Amino acid sequence: MFMFRSRRRLPVILAVVTALVLVAVLAGCGTSGSTASSVPSQITIGTLYAQSGAFATASMGEYQGLQFWANQVNKNGGVLVKAYNKKIPVKIIAYNDNSDTATAGNLYNQLITQNKVNMLVADFGSVLTSVAVPIAKEHKVLLYDPTGTGASFFTPDNPYLVLTSLPSSGIWPTSLANFLLEKKIGKIAVVYASNDFDQSQAKTLKSILAGGGVTPVYYQAVPTSTKNYGVILSDIAAKKPDAVIEFGYDTNDIAFLQGIRNGGYKFNMVFTVFPGQQLALIDKAVGNAGVAYTYSYPTPPLFGYNNVNYGLGLNAFVKTYEAANNVKNVNFLNIAGYTAGLVIQKSLENAASLKAKDLRAAVNTFSGSMNTLDGAFKIDPATGAQEGELLPVAQFQPSGGTLKPVIVYPANLATGKAVYPAP
Amino acid sequence: MFRKPLDLGLVVLIPVLFALAPLAYNNQLLLFNAMVFLALAQGINIIYGFTGYLPFGYVGFFGAGAYGASLTVMFLHLPAPVAVLLGGLTALALGLVLSPLLRLSGVYFAIASLAASEAVYYVIANPGLVNITKGPYGVSLDRVYSPEFSYLVMAVIVGLVTAVVVYLKRSHLGLSLKAVRDDPLSSETAGIDVKRQRMLAWSWSALFAGLTGAVFAWQISVFYPGTVFDPSISIFAIVFTLFGGAGTVLGPILGTVVLYGVYNLIGITEPQYFQLIYGVLIMVLVLFLPEGIVSLLKRGGANVL
Repeated sequence: MFMFRSRRRLPVILAVVTALVLVAVLAGCGTSGSTASSVPSQITIGTLYAQSGAFATASMGEYQGLQFWANQVNKNGGVLVKAYNKKIPVKIIAYNDNSDTATAGNLYNQLITQNKVNMLVADFGSVLTSVAVPIAKEHKVLLYDPTGTGASFFTPDNPYLVLTSLPSSGIWPTSLANFLLEKKIGKIAVVYASNDFDQSQAKTLKSILAGGGVTPVYYQAVPTSTKNYGVILSDIAAKKPDAVIEFGYDTNDIAFLQGIRNGGYKFNMVFTVFPGQQLALIDKAVGNAGVAYTYSYPTPPLFGYNNVNYGLGLNAFVKTYEAANNVKNVNFLNIAGYTAGLVIQKSLENAASLKAKDLRAAVNTFSGSMNTLDGAFKIDPATGAQEGELLPVAQFQPSGGTLKPVIVYPANLATGKAVYPAP
Repeated sequence: MFRKPLDLGLVVLIPVLFALAPLAYNNQLLLFNAMVFLALAQGINIIYGFTGYLPFGYVGFFGAGAYGASLTVMFLHLPAPVAVLLGGLTALALGLVLSPLLRLSGVYFAIASLAASEAVYYVIANPGLVNITKGPYGVSLDRVYSPEFSYLVMAVIVGLVTAVVVYLKRSHLGLSLKAVRDDPLSSETAGIDVKRQRMLAWSWSALFAGLTGAVFAWQISVFYPGTVFDPSISIFAIVFTLFGGAGTVLGPILGTVVLYGVYNLIGITEPQYFQLIYGVLIMVLVLFLPEGIVSLLKRGGANVL
């Protein structure tokens, strides 16, 4: 290590001290775990949020939704915990992962090993959820996953994972594909960002279209980091498609819609993913004219489910959330975070104990019978993947200077007819 | 190789302490990541501290090692420790392929290495290779998932890389590398095989990054290409090395322990001030301690290893 010229033994001592500092500094990161008692004073829920980085916008919305749920139940004395037959307050312990997977891994571990949380809620999306899945499984802690829809997470050998909000991304485009087939739109271009979330949608769409005898005239992956679709749009336009489908994250969708607008391209139908979740954000970035007559998967609050039998209905949620947080423009991610809380609440109301396996078994008991403002909650009992919520197709039609999402498919949810081809 | 008992003690002490650390602090993944960055910082130290080449794209070797090991597990169904070795060799092979970069120097080398790592990333993440690399859709190694075993293997790798740095510090090879770093022309005139020496350091550096990436993949078991080719991994390793002091054994150890400790301490306790505090801390240290914190010990009369 290092040697003082006069005292040759000193370096050995310093080497030991330095090494001990290693342990001490790292140990200093922790907090002592709670002491066990027969009835816990609170139910602790560990989660992460991203205050900066690629997933910040979506992550913070989801986290705020979860916080809103916790505040709501605590106002009423907490959640009813069947294992103790009494109401117990919930406490959310949250850390900032800055959208970084390595940091997220450390912090999920921190929540389990130092904070001794009763359960975990994953941060937004598949990338930040991916590190939580093996950690939760290793430590046998149930992971409630609001939006990490990567198909590879959900395996029968992992009983510690529940997808609470969105269905796994592979089944998202089912309604879209059926809409295209019903409309007899034969020349379809598909461009998708090369990540798990978007690729699985593209694959499903292609497969269902093939079943209807339609082969896309253009089918191309692009890097998720793509911010300029100029060349790709030029390629697509050369194929003269009737419908252009773009699967991407919000940044991709914004760049794609901007590219269409700036390049003066005209297609009969354009579909993107995130306007249905974050209309205000996309509208602000692209402008009203750029989003008008395009299609998306609408999610609450752009439309509401009428058969809510657990938690707040859509109108009550919007009103209460906006008042509680002094904000306007509730978005889908707020609802996704809130829904994760509702699934936790229902689990605690039905579980025989706070053990992960009992919580997971409880989820299976109400799967298929619970309807929230986010739609039907129904999971695959073996894998925990959500499959209850089918996403309809909506078109954003101009109405009095704003954009009105009109559900055009399926017929039982439709609120209007598609304007096709787009003017 | 180890001329003084202290050398051997250091090589053994660090991994043993890490192996025992989970008994005192059970966020094992945090300790594991500290070892990952320590090994990478020492790998940077080998190539930068002893030859002056600063590879911004060092993460390319890390990612290559992760994918080399993953493909070994997925397609050859070999045990994870063998996959780790093959992951290291994959990175070594990549190092040999990229060795022409050593003809560049300074900022040109730094940028070229970054471009090379991005190129490797985009090849691996290419959807057209989905049947081989799984493209951008991520790898799952849950069949071999073993956080305890992989943790211990990582501790061994930390010991090995520390041993190599101690060797370089004590040997004629290390001296000749430093001579090449300081004045390549004079070194060549003095009979030093400059190309061979640089290749040796480059290969060792690549090998250890690959081994580290392979164990990282084994430890986390589910990851996307962006996770193991994230340029911030290179940046952290470089910052830890420079902060502690390049060209020494102790520098990267101190740099990683202090900065990674602070990083996690701030990240957990004061996340809202995280970037501000961390950024200011690094700026102050670069301004006032450009040779790293070991320079403080040198000023105090210590003969830093």
